[in-house]
Amino acid sequence: MSTAQAILTLVVMAPGVVFGTLALLWLLGWTPGERLLSWITGLMFSACTLGIAALAWIVISAPNGSAPVAVTFGNWFAVGDYHFPLVLIADRLSLPFLALAAVLSGLIGQFSATYLHREPGFLRFFLLLHLFAFGSLLAFAAASFDLLAAGWEMVGITSVLLIGFFQLRPAPVENGLRVFGVYRACDIGLLVGIFAMHHWAGTASFYGGFPALTRTQGIIVCLLLLIAASGKAAQVPFSGWLPRAMEGPTPSSAIFYGAISIHAGAYLLLRAEPLLARSVVTSGLVISIGLATAAHGAIVGRASADAKTSLAYATLTQVGIVFIEIGLGWRWIAVAHILGNATVRTMQFLRAPSMLHDYHQMHSAIGGEVSTAGRQIEDLLPERVQLWLYRWAFDRGHLDTILDRWVIDPLVQLSAYLGKLDRVGIPWTTIRPCNVASVSLHGPTGQRGD
Amino acid sequence: MSIPQWVLGGPFLTTVSVAVPWTVAILVTVYRRHMRILACMAALTSIAASAVLLGEAPKGESLYQALMLLFSCLTFGATLVLPRRDCTIGTIGGILFLQGSTLLAYSTGNLLVLLTAWLLSIIPFLWPGWFRARTWRPLAGLLFSSLALALAIGLISATTGVISINSLRGRSPGGAAAFALLVIAVIFRKGILPAHAWVADAAESGPALPTALLLNGHFGALLVAKLIVPLFPKVDSLFPVVSYIAITTALYVAVRALGENSPRRLLAFVALSQSACILSGLESRTAQGIAGALVHWFVVAVSTVGLFGILRLLEVRFGENLTASKHLGLAEHAPRLAVSFAVFSLALVGLPGTLGFCSQDLLIHGTLTSHPLTGLLLPIATAMNAVSIFRLFTRLFLGKRRTGFTVMADALPRERWILAVAVLFVVLGGLFPNAIVVRHSAETDIVEEAIHTSAPVEQLRADDARRAASARRP
Repeated sequence: MSTAQAILTLVVMAPGVVFGTLALLWLLGWTPGERLLSWITGLMFSACTLGIAALAWIVISAPNGSAPVAVTFGNWFAVGDYHFPLVLIADRLSLPFLALAAVLSGLIGQFSATYLHREPGFLRFFLLLHLFAFGSLLAFAAASFDLLAAGWEMVGITSVLLIGFFQLRPAPVENGLRVFGVYRACDIGLLVGIFAMHHWAGTASFYGGFPALTRTQGIIVCLLLLIAASGKAAQVPFSGWLPRAMEGPTPSSAIFYGAISIHAGAYLLLRAEPLLARSVVTSGLVISIGLATAAHGAIVGRASADAKTSLAYATLTQVGIVFIEIGLGWRWIAVAHILGNATVRTMQFLRAPSMLHDYHQMHSAIGGEVSTAGRQIEDLLPERVQLWLYRWAFDRGHLDTILDRWVIDPLVQLSAYLGKLDRVGIPWTTIRPCNVASVSLHGPTGQRGD
Repeated sequence: MSIPQWVLGGPFLTTVSVAVPWTVAILVTVYRRHMRILACMAALTSIAASAVLLGEAPKGESLYQALMLLFSCLTFGATLVLPRRDCTIGTIGGILFLQGSTLLAYSTGNLLVLLTAWLLSIIPFLWPGWFRARTWRPLAGLLFSSLALALAIGLISATTGVISINSLRGRSPGGAAAFALLVIAVIFRKGILPAHAWVADAAESGPALPTALLLNGHFGALLVAKLIVPLFPKVDSLFPVVSYIAITTALYVAVRALGENSPRRLLAFVALSQSACILSGLESRTAQGIAGALVHWFVVAVSTVGLFGILRLLEVRFGENLTASKHLGLAEHAPRLAVSFAVFSLALVGLPGTLGFCSQDLLIHGTLTSHPLTGLLLPIATAMNAVSIFRLFTRLFLGKRRTGFTVMADALPRERWILAVAVLFVVLGGLFPNAIVVRHSAETDIVEEAIHTSAPVEQLRADDARRAASARRP
């Protein structure tokens, strides 16, 4: 293994090892202190950042012109002619994303050490941050869609657990559950897309060439991947979960919905670009989704009442534009756009809790209130249209209402109906939690705490 | 001093692994003291014997030894996790009795012994006041399955006069009638639609851990792997029917779980839906599908017993009226139980970082190859199960902390260590799955070989050529 390969391996594995060690020690009864935790986090992400910088230098200064660094660990598992390749890659596309993930994770770690000081979930936050960093680095360094999906799912689950970080309030927990449902539903697209690639091309690896698919097969795979990308990037019609995700602590909102997680969908499309470029249908669909999302984000964001939701919709608008750029084939413009947007939004999210303080400082400096801005573009519309648009924006484009009415409610009703069928012939009195052994030997043991 | 050769022999070790739990089950009814220690020692003896058997078994013929080791470990874990109030003569004796019967079923190559083991395994669940549920459906399900198996074995024995499974391989003994009876036995024992309701009833109104062990013996899948697939390769046109029924069950109970508020029923539905996938994989007749099914068997067994164990611990600590209809906030009281529950849940529904991810990956890939429709529906069922189990997790552990408790213990040391071992198994298995997958991929060769004995060689070659051509196509 060369130096570059060793660096790549260490960079990707380090957060996973830290997470695994800390989690296991905690499970066995040891809880690290805040200072030790933030020290480990800072040290680890600093080392990762330096490692990625070294990798970038090696890739850029390669004599044969930006040759990617690849590490092959063989197969994660293999049965018959099917294998799950474990190959990491650092190329011109993955390196900016790796750098973004490592730098912002370290930044968020340092910010959170102060922001979450003496918070009961301090350790939980840092454990999830490490798991998230591992998942995102794995997804960005993956040389196959299989491995990308593994990292992708880790990012999803940590995202959901951090939305429910303030677990004592029901709203964050319920919103986390909702986001989890949307993620799982959309991830079906990614999983089936990968299986389709294996089925048709015998591989889902993009290292050394893209899977050989016919035009129709390519379109089908692209559409499946587009569902997953749209779900992760909160594109229309899956945008409803984004404001719900703002229930999490600000640092996690910054890194997930301002920077890494929300741009992971765009990264997936960038990876699948050779397939996208082969069909006008899929490119057109990506552009349409991006356009719809950009418009949706711009309109709904104007009716958002809190800073974090406004910022989330601002990010969404930009991600919509990134989708348009990808659809048009402007690959490197999209990458630059993602890097810029992610950095700026992270900074804005992290400043959001201090916004009032900032305004007060500004007012003191200028000696009064800031004058209101000029005419808003929506003032050009007739008043009735403005009102309708406001209602539409206030209900966030009715996306959640549609999802509830057409998907969730019918499923719950169907479940209730099947439940009634299941209970036919069973007296209601017998359907109770009960343990025969304990009841017969120790009497009723039930107690209600509340 | 060298160990005599007969001690390391298969028959002796098999006898030890089966007879020791039965003997200790009888012993605890007489001795009535140190029951947990005795049960653990019996389970450990079975673990040691099964481990030696597994080590001695030739490559590709170690499936049942691996299952014996798994079930012995599950029993060991269950006896450690069992709350003190459940640690009675009846429960400990019943669990050991079930262990001996299950290991006998795994180890035997004789139809009549298999039938005897099958019947013995359900006896504690038929007896009022032992493990019998309060509703009639579990009783009916178990009895119907036993009756169907008895008729099938009777028919096979009457038509062939042979009771050795190896001698009957590939002969389709008893024809379509025996095949149908075996499928009925699988449907009732495994809880396949329309006989699914007894599983939830048993989980809800029966004792949690013994019921979990009964369900995770996976006798239905055992019947498919041990009898149906190797003995009836010539009725392979009927195999997809089993697959379709299994995927229908997986979807049906996944939808059913979405609206369920009883934690035990919800867990039972999710476990049933996930274990129905095992049948689809076994029936897929692809190396990936079969290997995925066998690995999934391990994942479902460990996760389900772990989840039911944690649920029972919560019931003992916080009362038996747990519900998924509101937030109970138990994580504040029991954070380690919460984390263990989350890890088992993630493994059960195949999220990455756990062994469940690999098994689901193989399962879906295998079924997609043989039955595209089934392969497409499996991820949908799994996604719904993931939402259901995550809902249960959030409702039980998150939300406002319950008040009114003075001292509520998190996982006790004996519970903590065994849960940590189980968590490590699913997590390390997920990180380094090849150790498990490779072993089971060797088992698939035998199953595949049995399946392909009926297919003409020309047809197999043509299939291979077609697949290779489609893989090369640009």
